[in-house]
Amino acid sequence: MSIDAQRVDFIAVPTQDRERAARFYEETLGLARNPNSTENWLEFETGNVTLALVTPEQAGQQFAPLPFASIVLRVPDVAEARKKLSEAGVEFSGETFDSGVCNGAAFTDPDGNGLMIHHRYAPYPDGSTP
Amino acid sequence: MIEVETVDFVSVLTQDIQRAKQFYGETLGLPIETEDEHDVEFTLGQVTLDVFNPASIGRPFSPTEAGIAIRVPDVAAARAALEAKGVDFDGEIVDSGVCHFAFFRDPDGNALMLHRRYAPRVTR
Repeated sequence: MSIDAQRVDFIAVPTQDRERAARFYEETLGLARNPNSTENWLEFETGNVTLALVTPEQAGQQFAPLPFASIVLRVPDVAEARKKLSEAGVEFSGETFDSGVCNGAAFTDPDGNGLMIHHRYAPYPDGSTP
Repeated sequence: MIEVETVDFVSVLTQDIQRAKQFYGETLGLPIETEDEHDVEFTLGQVTLDVFNPASIGRPFSPTEAGIAIRVPDVAAARAALEAKGVDFDGEIVDSGVCHFAFFRDPDGNALMLHRRYAPRVTR
């Protein structure tokens, strides 16, 4: 029997400092705060997926950051976005890569969660573009 | 501030791509978008889930403890269906007051959640 997985309601992003994380996602990345957010449940919108800040230590669980490049954010221009983020103090791991179809640059948020900025420049095999 | 347009994909790491393909494709029933030797992309609703072996790009494996909330029509029914396929859940179904949660892991130990909000959304 299928479970009928319909969509991603949110991706949990762990933090040890909710206010610092909120500033990062809202001000540094420029994501809109979801109006359904409450004092204890903060959500940010990326266009298609909701990111929810969670504090595992407050629930008695161990904090562990998201692994390398867990959430891949589409930007119009990776070089330009990297420059802006670097100026804002964001640490990137390694150089911007060119896979032959896309550019990407991996970085971490202030809690060490693995994120990436990404832009596919090549059309898909069916001729469509991202 | 940068201009984030969308999430292109969400990554989940595996140490055994065939086992992960079986789990996400067969057990969870997600359609495959693309696949190669180290990497399988699945459609999970509105986003692409990219399951890949980080050893293929020289990166260490570590499971995610945070989790992706997968919307299902009925958390109890979906949990029962997954348990019948041998998936272990962590604790009982949680009722947050606005939604139901059930916590489980993929075969690599990545945290996942079945999720269904039953309360109306609040718009302020």
